[in-house]
Amino acid sequence: MDERRANIDLAFRNGLKDYEVLPPPDAWMNIDSRIARKDKPAYFLRAAAFLAIAMTMSVLAYRWIGKTSSMLDNSVMALSEESSAPVFSDNLINPVSRQVRIARSEVKPIDKITENSEADASSTSDERVSSVFTLPQSNLHIPIKTSTFNIIRNKAAIPEIPNNDLFVDDISQEYQDYLVDNTVSDNNHRWSITALATPTYYGKINSASDALSQQIKASEQAVVSYTGGVALSYKVNKRFSIQSGLFYSSVGQDLEGINSFAGFQKYDNTKGDHNFEVLTTNGTVYTNNADVFLFADGNSDRIVTNYNKDVFDPQKASLDYINNTMRQNFSYLELPVFLRYKVVDRTVDFNLIGGLSYNLLLDNSVYTVVDGSKYMIGTTAGLNMFSISSSIGMGMEYKFSEKLALNLEPTFRYYLNSFNSVSGSQFHPYSFGIFSGISYKF
Amino acid sequence: MSEIKEIIKGCLAGNRKDQELLYRRHSAKLYAVCLQYSGNNEEARDILQEGFIKIFENLGNYKHEGSFEGWMRRITVNTALEKFRSRNSLYRVDDIDQMPEPDAEPDNQDYAGLEAADLLEIIRELPPKYRMVFNLYAIEGYSHKEISEMINISEGTSKSNLSRARVILQRRVGSFTGIKKRIANG
Repeated sequence: MDERRANIDLAFRNGLKDYEVLPPPDAWMNIDSRIARKDKPAYFLRAAAFLAIAMTMSVLAYRWIGKTSSMLDNSVMALSEESSAPVFSDNLINPVSRQVRIARSEVKPIDKITENSEADASSTSDERVSSVFTLPQSNLHIPIKTSTFNIIRNKAAIPEIPNNDLFVDDISQEYQDYLVDNTVSDNNHRWSITALATPTYYGKINSASDALSQQIKASEQAVVSYTGGVALSYKVNKRFSIQSGLFYSSVGQDLEGINSFAGFQKYDNTKGDHNFEVLTTNGTVYTNNADVFLFADGNSDRIVTNYNKDVFDPQKASLDYINNTMRQNFSYLELPVFLRYKVVDRTVDFNLIGGLSYNLLLDNSVYTVVDGSKYMIGTTAGLNMFSISSSIGMGMEYKFSEKLALNLEPTFRYYLNSFNSVSGSQFHPYSFGIFSGISYKF
Repeated sequence: MSEIKEIIKGCLAGNRKDQELLYRRHSAKLYAVCLQYSGNNEEARDILQEGFIKIFENLGNYKHEGSFEGWMRRITVNTALEKFRSRNSLYRVDDIDQMPEPDAEPDNQDYAGLEAADLLEIIRELPPKYRMVFNLYAIEGYSHKEISEMINISEGTSKSNLSRARVILQRRVGSFTGIKKRIANG
């Protein structure tokens, strides 16, 4: 009798050894959310560390640029940039790269059961676990509604069991989808391409305090500009992404109190290449249109010319008045190198974004508008062909689907070097824009 | 460094991918343990969730001595025990005489014909107190003295519960295999 009872114990012990049942799909989500809540302080520490690194990089880059600028004897700062492609590694094995196989195992006959089962149990499977990343292959059952066991079961003879939906021989499609959604996607969607655009408000920080600089700045009004382009990002791990791309940005400001007239060419007897120089915070504007005549309201120091009002009166010469505002416009091609840190990983993701952009000057023009058409006046001299700006922002990403997402990224940008290096005073532009766009993961 | 050590290290660093990896690798086996200790799936899921949270919280205490899976299993069983203790007063022990008589006394071949899923289903039909004692004694290998301390009963009660659990299991196996035989014989 005792032996038979011991055999019952062994039959259950050995029969259930290594038995596996896939848990409900939502179990991990519940665990994950509980763990995530406990890890929250760490996220903020990481975010703070990330911000500190971004700011340190910006300061170092700024100081480096300052040194480089002082070594150059002209106004054009050339930057040689070499980007080394980051090396990424992904040692993790795709968790469902192998097909889940399910098999039901028979219980060993009692006469073959030995007491070494205890040893077998204790020697479980660090080796086996580490050899593959797969769902268990023996004794694996998944709860779904239908069951082969139900077919042979006589409910009249055996008391009702509340868990009769527990075992099946096939993995459900729902569960496979869940596994794919929650494990494979991270590996398969490391890249994303995003089209982004934003209207941008520009301002400047003035480090000069002389009266002329202040007057010049007071007469300048930033205009709403725009930036747009395509960003390509690579997810290094679950939190960090590195992003680059190409953007086109247009920056501008209105120079108020500069009156312009047309028809001056017939009175122009000088041999110089320009007749007027207009001082601005972004550099000196040289007119290259011989037909234009300029004079400034109030303080005439803003315009340097041989044709001041004492020498030439445009009204007496019956020149055509055009406007009293000029627009100074620059276009840049931007190559950003940003780091993105995912603070919240939910349906709406929140990312911290920071990094540097290398900006190549494409277009430099000064014009005024007459009857809706541009009337070209000149260009701004002494502009740096390259400039570097630092950016910091917060990105929100709403996922439409596994691959498509809507992005909204309020971003503040600070130019580490001014647009020009000859004006005597340093004006560092900054900008704020809310980038919006669509991203596609692949 | 072995892969499992790397995963543990990643979990300790708060790497969610490693945490999920650890879960995916071991959850099926631990869920089977949870089912073994519970009468319904919801309770089993709760035990699994709470057990895994404890595993993640206590990973730093794992000394890499002995089986990691055994360490996780002990935490899971302890979680089931806590759940049992919190509900112990609610459980009633069914009268053993109300259990159906088996068609025949099961023999060795009857057990051989049972699959692991059948065994689990049979064990889950036990009244909670019997199931807990049987699991701790027959499956986990604890002594009656240890069990008495674990679930706050006397050693005599532990022995009695085990004995009754075995009788019930024997009857269930007998009924179960009797049905199978009848189906097989047409």
